[in-house]
Amino acid sequence: MRRRQANIATDPEAFEAFYRRHVDAITWFLARRVDDPNTVADLVAEVFVAVLDSAHTYRPGLGSEIAWLYGVARNTLSAERRRAFKETKLADRVGGRRPLDSDDVAQLEERIDAESVARRAFQAMAGLPDGDRAMLELVVIDQLTISEAAIALGIRQGAARARLHRARRALRNVPGIAPFVMEGMR
Amino acid sequence: MKFKEHVLMELKAEIVARNKARRLLVRRRLLAGAAVAGIAAAAAVAVPFLNGSGTPAYAVTKNTDGTITLKINEFRDSTQVEKDLAALGLTADVSYVKPGTRCAPDRGHTDAGPSFSKEELNSKDPEVRKRIREAIDSSPNGKAFRMGGGEVRISPQHIKPGQTAVMEFTENEDQTSGPEKPRALWQFSGYLVTGPVKPCKVVDDPSWSKMPDPRTNPGAYPPPGS
Repeated sequence: MRRRQANIATDPEAFEAFYRRHVDAITWFLARRVDDPNTVADLVAEVFVAVLDSAHTYRPGLGSEIAWLYGVARNTLSAERRRAFKETKLADRVGGRRPLDSDDVAQLEERIDAESVARRAFQAMAGLPDGDRAMLELVVIDQLTISEAAIALGIRQGAARARLHRARRALRNVPGIAPFVMEGMR
Repeated sequence: MKFKEHVLMELKAEIVARNKARRLLVRRRLLAGAAVAGIAAAAAVAVPFLNGSGTPAYAVTKNTDGTITLKINEFRDSTQVEKDLAALGLTADVSYVKPGTRCAPDRGHTDAGPSFSKEELNSKDPEVRKRIREAIDSSPNGKAFRMGGGEVRISPQHIKPGQTAVMEFTENEDQTSGPEKPRALWQFSGYLVTGPVKPCKVVDDPSWSKMPDPRTNPGAYPPPGS
């Protein structure tokens, strides 16, 4: 399995299968966090470039592909945010902009709209400590199991449970958000 | 969505480009090949050459100490090299094969070389590496063929009557190199066969494009020119 995973970084066919398996999940993951279609498209590319860079870190014994991939996506996104904060623009990122056609833009906007509840939830969560918020995001918004979220964040299950519990307790009185964080989105 | 197909295409191109770059990295066929085969190592001594600055040389040189020097480019004309070596009294079988291929093993009777466990072959301990190196160097094949500095040095005094010096050579088409483009420029296998030698049957060599991971095996990437 580890060999197979290493394969996706070197074997175009294996990579294509991996990409097709997960590209929608990653696009949605990003649309929940970023509201600009072009940026979503660029970040999809960046996440999978990061997959090529870090395929060797995947340990199948530790959990599902998607949990690992969400971890990669989170790291990519936070690297991107740090960079965006510094440069306040994305244009000179390696790889550059992908021209999106109108269909792409329309479909991405649709997805971004569909994820607007999630983005509002992120705003409500903004005040939480980073670690607690990350846990809540992955479980409530991205619908990972607790153990998958723990893998994505590289923490132990016990710590993951504690963070989730703290985050939910902190938000239990926020109007409109409480039932959401308690039950998840869907 | 179309951009997903675009991104996929870009990424597949990226993989191909990275594979190419990886192929350029120096490989330790000597160790990797022996580990994969799991048989007595150094039935063939195979060492990739790191130095791409070898200039063309078309003469087989006999040195004062009795050894014979072959330079990298000479292998391209394998028939001529065989003739040149025959003129010096050495029976040789030289094959020039394309990158990504090699001669099928078992071309005749060879002496079993020293064998090592996989742990030893993958060891980073300088002591262990030194021991392996010395064991190979002192084996019959190691004594007959020495490699380094872009050339092969053959020692006829270590080749018995009735033995053939079998040499297989692969060369990267792109011989430019630099720190940003490390790669295997060429690869040489030399071993002695006692008795008849079967012709080279070309088979795929997946290890040509398989580079050790520099993060887990930095020792496989010595600095350029070493």
